Amino acid sequence: MADKKVSKKDIARLLEQWSRQFTVFAPSKESGVAAMAEWDGKDTGFLDWYRNTIIPPKASFLPQMEEMFHFQKGEEGYNIKTPPADERSRLLFGVRPCDARAMAIVDMTFKDAYEDPYYLSKRKNAVLVGLGCTNPCESCFCTSMGTNPTDQTNVDLMLIDIGDEFLIEEVTAKGKELIAKTKDLKEAAKNDEAKATQSKKTAYDRVTRKLDTEGIKDRLLASFDDKEYWEQTAAKCISCGICTLLCPTCYCFDINDEMVKQEGTRFRSWDSCGFPNYTKMPMENPRQEKWRRVRQKVCHKYEFYPMTFDVIACTGCGRCIRLCPVNWDITRVIESVPDKAEAKK
Amino acid sequence: MEQKLRQEAKTLLEQNKVDRIIGFEPGSLKFTATPLITGDKNDTERLIINPFIVNNLADFLTGIEGRVGIVAKGCDSRSIVSLIQDNKVARENVVILAVPCPGLIDLAKIERLVGKNRDELDDITRDGDKIIVTVDGKKKEFSLSQALFDHCLACELPTPQEYDILLGEPRPPAPELQTSGQNITKLKETLPTERWEFWKNEFSRCIRCYACRNACPACFCQRCFVEETEPQWVMPVPRWQDNLIFQIVRNIHVAGRCTDCGECERVCPVNIPLRSLTREMYNMVDELFSFKSGMDKEALPLMAHYEQEEAEDLFR
Amino acid sequence: MTQQSDWKPKLLGFLCRWCSYAGADLAGTSRKKYPANIRVIKVPCSGRVDSLFIIKALRLGFDGVLVSGCHPGDCHYLTGNYRARRRIAITKKFLEYLGVEPERLQASWVSASEGGKFAEVVTEVTEGVKEVGPNRLFSERKSNGTEAKTGS
Repeated sequence: MADKKVSKKDIARLLEQWSRQFTVFAPSKESGVAAMAEWDGKDTGFLDWYRNTIIPPKASFLPQMEEMFHFQKGEEGYNIKTPPADERSRLLFGVRPCDARAMAIVDMTFKDAYEDPYYLSKRKNAVLVGLGCTNPCESCFCTSMGTNPTDQTNVDLMLIDIGDEFLIEEVTAKGKELIAKTKDLKEAAKNDEAKATQSKKTAYDRVTRKLDTEGIKDRLLASFDDKEYWEQTAAKCISCGICTLLCPTCYCFDINDEMVKQEGTRFRSWDSCGFPNYTKMPMENPRQEKWRRVRQKVCHKYEFYPMTFDVIACTGCGRCIRLCPVNWDITRVIESVPDKAEAKK
Repeated sequence: MEQKLRQEAKTLLEQNKVDRIIGFEPGSLKFTATPLITGDKNDTERLIINPFIVNNLADFLTGIEGRVGIVAKGCDSRSIVSLIQDNKVARENVVILAVPCPGLIDLAKIERLVGKNRDELDDITRDGDKIIVTVDGKKKEFSLSQALFDHCLACELPTPQEYDILLGEPRPPAPELQTSGQNITKLKETLPTERWEFWKNEFSRCIRCYACRNACPACFCQRCFVEETEPQWVMPVPRWQDNLIFQIVRNIHVAGRCTDCGECERVCPVNIPLRSLTREMYNMVDELFSFKSGMDKEALPLMAHYEQEEAEDLFR
Repeated sequence: MTQQSDWKPKLLGFLCRWCSYAGADLAGTSRKKYPANIRVIKVPCSGRVDSLFIIKALRLGFDGVLVSGCHPGDCHYLTGNYRARRRIAITKKFLEYLGVEPERLQASWVSASEGGKFAEVVTEVTEGVKEVGPNRLFSERKSNGTEAKTGS
């Protein structure tokens, strides 16, 4: 049940109110590419063009590059200075359900055996205000991946487009608390719920790309050694990092030190399993060949992650399909994975 | 042209003249073609030629073994010749299926002109010198200059000179070539300090995906300088300084081998205007050394050749 | 450009072992005076100098780079300096297009017997670099783009 709503033309005032308590992030093209950026205090033009960002919102918690600590060689060993934890209260406005689900999926890794302080310090103080889609892209396939264009499961608030206004669904305690403190919201009218239901259905029906993931885990397991299949599948891949770096569920990072004389900084930055040197070690590189890396990417998302965390590490956001230089399409690949069990029959 | 292509490709495989065909088939998105790499003659039925066959397929030649039948537009064929000049590809191992290219449609330009994303358009077709975009049932017309890729508007060789099978009527270059980019002209009019600031800004959003490098046929090093750790020339960390250095050095390294196919700029996911660098290098190489990449397979590559006297005004 | 009064330019010189390095030696033994701001890396041939070295030098903070080799036609390895000529020409012009001051990359042909010329070249190059001031090309600007732009 949603009690409150806000007019689209009042969004700037709403964000302005929230920015007194939070650092507000909203979709922006100011940097030259659509990404979540610190809200500039006035612009809500994104409501006109926003379908989804190119840089996924994970960048707020796992930035492209991050200083881990400074070190300086002292008389006995190294002096290590960790920067103060970034515990800013962030409010991410406009998170799409696919990206929100992706964040929940990535959270699983950073909270697993080792709790990653850099990621979690940012994540725990963040409020996610979701924005339900009205115009899914042709590359979207969220409805096949355990979510849908207006899914409120992984956000604190979900805004549903009901024409000139957004209906505000309060999802978590954090979200409810925020709304309780927010002034100047309108009361939802009697038929707003119906409008919202219609809006959700329209968005759902607009997702035309479908993927049947039934049994994919087992099909991949059985096809692991099918070198011919994987070579054919990987043939047109050019081993850039676009699909992985811009994937909201990918989280691999590289750690590098930069040292000048006796002091330096340790950085972590995005890394991609698609890069030829990703698994390079002094003795060997187990994924030297492209087909192995492509196989790894598919299996990680659709087989290994489900084996560990019971969820496919893909939420159907479609970025990889849209942005791939050669239009390599994960949905086509998953569909084509041979069913060895069937073949044996 | 498509029918002939499919027939020829099938024949090449049937007669075992090549091990694989590299061409294009329909993509999984609207207005998209995707590379088709196959050794199966039945797959040749899927080969297409349309205004969206953007990839430079020569990019695949350095990673593939055996003999290849490859579909090549003008710019692609120059890349193939450039690879032959560099001794990376043996002429006898490629069968070039030449596509006389009328220029390809730049979806990014169309999106800006129409104000909608590509998947919101009903149709895009070409009628002679007009590009017709149907959106919400209504047709809008655009000129070639508005709708084609900038590098197509600058194309000096629409029809491959070096080929084995010509798939259609040869096309000459357009009477007037727009050999500079909007950006390049604008940049040259600004102060040097402003230019550097411009590039600083652009490269702040580079994510080091290396799509520009990997989509480029001229970048074929087994170990790129960015992957070198001893010594480490650039940090893998995506700071603008390292990003900019990567691109500057990459451009210098491919000078004389870049054929201005425009792929680097097209594939960049964060919209960095890379062609403003590559095209300038392309023009510079021509200006300084009267050299055009990939024109003559017998010629020496740019850096392997020299004249007795050249560029002397730059040296003390 | 504002210059701190105590700034001394730092130049990096790539000198080919057969000609320019010998020429520099000769300048020394002949007691020719030239500014002591240049650090020298000996390379077997000017053709050894990859543009990558030049860019890296600028990245590390050198205010200027000088590449010097044998005169065209006199290269000890016959054609090395022809390669250098092409490579440095495009590097120089490309850097200029990008907005780097042309004084920061200079090149010369100095033979083993041209001690005087070497001293002259270094003096002129150092003057040129002094004019354009310290190399701030790769200094951090106030906000490193990625921080604000990608919501981190």
